[in-house]
Amino acid sequence: MNWHRIAAVGLATALALSAPWIVPGAAAQESIRIGSPYRTTTLDPMRSAAAGNIETFGQLYSRLLRRNAQGELEPGLAESWEVSPDGTTVTLKLRDAKFSDGSPITADDVVFSLLRVRDDKESAYPAPLQQLKDAKAQDPKTVVLTLEHPFAPFLGNLEVFNAGIVSKADVEKRGADAFTKDPLTSGPYAVSEWRPNDRLVLKPNPNYWREGYPKNAGAELIEVPDQNTRVSMMLSGELDAAREMPWSQVAELQGREGLSLPLEPSTVIYMTLLNGKKPPFDNVKVRQAAAHALDVAAITQAMSFGNAKPANTTIPGALEFHAADLPGVAYDPEKAKALLAEAGYNGEEVTMLISDIADLDKLAALIQAQWQAVGIPSKIEKVDRGVWWERVPGADYHAAPSWWYNETLDPDLAVRWALCGTCGTESFYTFYSNPKVNELTEAAAAELDPAKRRELYRQIQEITTNEVAQIPLYYPPFTNAYGARVEGLSMSPALQWSLEDASVKN
Amino acid sequence: MSLFSALGQRLLQLIPVLIGISVVSFLLVQLSPGDPVRLLLGDRATAEAVAQVRERYGLDEPLLQQYFTYVGNLIQGDLGRSIRFQLPVGDLILDFLPATLFLIAYVVVISVPAAVLLAVAAARSQGGLVDQAIRLFAVVGMTFPVFWLALMMSRFFGVELGWFPVSGYGEGFVDHLHHLFLPAVSTSAWLIPLLLRNLRAALIEEMQADHVTASRSKGLGETYIFRRHVLPNSVLPTLNLLGLMISFLIGGSVVVEIVYAVPGLGSLMVGSVVGRDYYVIQGLTLVYALATVVVTLTVDILSTLIDPRVKL
Repeated sequence: MNWHRIAAVGLATALALSAPWIVPGAAAQESIRIGSPYRTTTLDPMRSAAAGNIETFGQLYSRLLRRNAQGELEPGLAESWEVSPDGTTVTLKLRDAKFSDGSPITADDVVFSLLRVRDDKESAYPAPLQQLKDAKAQDPKTVVLTLEHPFAPFLGNLEVFNAGIVSKADVEKRGADAFTKDPLTSGPYAVSEWRPNDRLVLKPNPNYWREGYPKNAGAELIEVPDQNTRVSMMLSGELDAAREMPWSQVAELQGREGLSLPLEPSTVIYMTLLNGKKPPFDNVKVRQAAAHALDVAAITQAMSFGNAKPANTTIPGALEFHAADLPGVAYDPEKAKALLAEAGYNGEEVTMLISDIADLDKLAALIQAQWQAVGIPSKIEKVDRGVWWERVPGADYHAAPSWWYNETLDPDLAVRWALCGTCGTESFYTFYSNPKVNELTEAAAAELDPAKRRELYRQIQEITTNEVAQIPLYYPPFTNAYGARVEGLSMSPALQWSLEDASVKN
Repeated sequence: MSLFSALGQRLLQLIPVLIGISVVSFLLVQLSPGDPVRLLLGDRATAEAVAQVRERYGLDEPLLQQYFTYVGNLIQGDLGRSIRFQLPVGDLILDFLPATLFLIAYVVVISVPAAVLLAVAAARSQGGLVDQAIRLFAVVGMTFPVFWLALMMSRFFGVELGWFPVSGYGEGFVDHLHHLFLPAVSTSAWLIPLLLRNLRAALIEEMQADHVTASRSKGLGETYIFRRHVLPNSVLPTLNLLGLMISFLIGGSVVVEIVYAVPGLGSLMVGSVVGRDYYVIQGLTLVYALATVVVTLTVDILSTLIDPRVKL
């Protein structure tokens, strides 16, 4: 046979084979496809507080209380509850609900689920249930929770992602394996297929307690690390929703027919950590100078193309009791220079540690330029997240522009995480610790009168913003994109998809 | 030496290679900074939980002990468990292997015929218009960065024209061909010029060889000479290059896999490196090494079939 002919036949075959599929349009797509850069690494709500897992847990496990579209607490697995007059006992009545296998959800399951989050040595984030003294099943449908002391955020904390209810019998029988393949779930969905490092395929839980939900045939949570790829997939209709569209493409995507990008409020805050354990930022005057040196409004505009709000306090703007009227730290380079002189700062170079998140290069460069202008020289060191998370808790940095978010709207957990020096995380490893703030943290949590709580959180924000526990920069909304095919899908400020309410238009 | 004893010897040589690779990959991965458990448990995880999980996964043991545990398991065919997912590494790799193998086969099926066809056309009209055009195409093809080309093709053929999906692997053979078309073409656009330039040069050299001149002087037809003498004698260097490129692609398909969100070994590797999933990284490294050996061996065997003078 002729060599030419072999080659020609080969090429012709390749072309002929590819021709039939050059056809637009795909087969009917029933399930809702969501693209996110954050991975699901475990299906056990106790085992992780990382972003991708938080999104997943909410779909698999119901909590005692839930939040409605307006963000208000309403009955979940508990159909009603009663708080004792002294505020230390909460008695909850469970509704008739079942796990995905049809077995009933009892008070024993609730007690088991909450106590393992509080007590298990491998529980990643026991903080929301720290004030829980004891949990008892009074009868199969009644749970009595007693608290160490009155604790205002408690009901809200029962809605946090890791307070999801799991099956005691199943976890005791299968151990850790109960969560690797086909977990029993109490939420709107069950696991159809989990392909780690790629996607989680969800199917409706036939025994879900909210009748008529989920309003769709299932969903796929697809992990797409690359931002441009997520944009391409949204544009080509291969995704119905996607997390984190780039700021630079927000306007373009909003103008695109068949797509919406509603900029939903989030509990995310961008800020700069300052290491209070090391000179120069162990000196409050140098921290204040570093804050006065930054034109927060201009940074916000440059980073988000005007879509985010400049931050005015050390807690996220979407949280309850956020003091929107506080002025923040004014942009005042002259004052910054004066403070630096007063502090006796010697012009020593500081290290700005950033992780490999897309926006942070730009943010660090903006900060670097504005600090340089008042006489704080800095060098930017970029490392991956693994290294960042080793060096920041190890106090091996000077400044670290980054972001954090809160899992619930109540500010208690946020304050404990980022501003309280005696709450276990060293004020997000800035090692900021003001005894007054630490005291106020406990007082604000124990205060049951909302007006008085508001006042206490206001004080916390005032003190920590003035002492620059961190430099607050901006409050970004979510840049989630949605396709026109799906209705009713949104994301709550605390990273929970309203997936069960979403329906596919035909 | 018979084919089988040669094969046996090759496989024996493989053992020290694999031991060396396992030591180097183990040390590189373990000594690089970054704690997989912190990444796994999340930003707000308590120090106690991080310590507890590290202990349970055996990450706090001395490095030497960890290495011997690892090798001990390896000898029994156990690649360990993924730190991130608590699933066997072997299963995880097998889940991601098909997409990459399919992609590479697809690239070869597209690239080889195209490269041969273009090289032959160019060589036969050496210096002519066709040759110039093909050489220009080759240079242009090699200068485009793969990730840029991949992104542009996904936006144009996927988004604007809607002809091809821009992500995933699909279900079933036909669907795989459809989903992986753009990734395969993006990769081929880089591979074809490499093969084509190599083969063209070999063909031209061979066309001027003495035995070809002798054939011409005997009055044999150009076409006959070309397919009987020139081509078979020219493909060996290109075949070797192809082998090398295939081995490279097994590890190097990362770029297209990320841009087109293909669930292949490259995606798994990137996820594992970012998440410090030690045993998955080591398992993948061993798979890459094995694949390279298998491809090289296949090329060598093919070479002996094409040219009996070549010995294994």
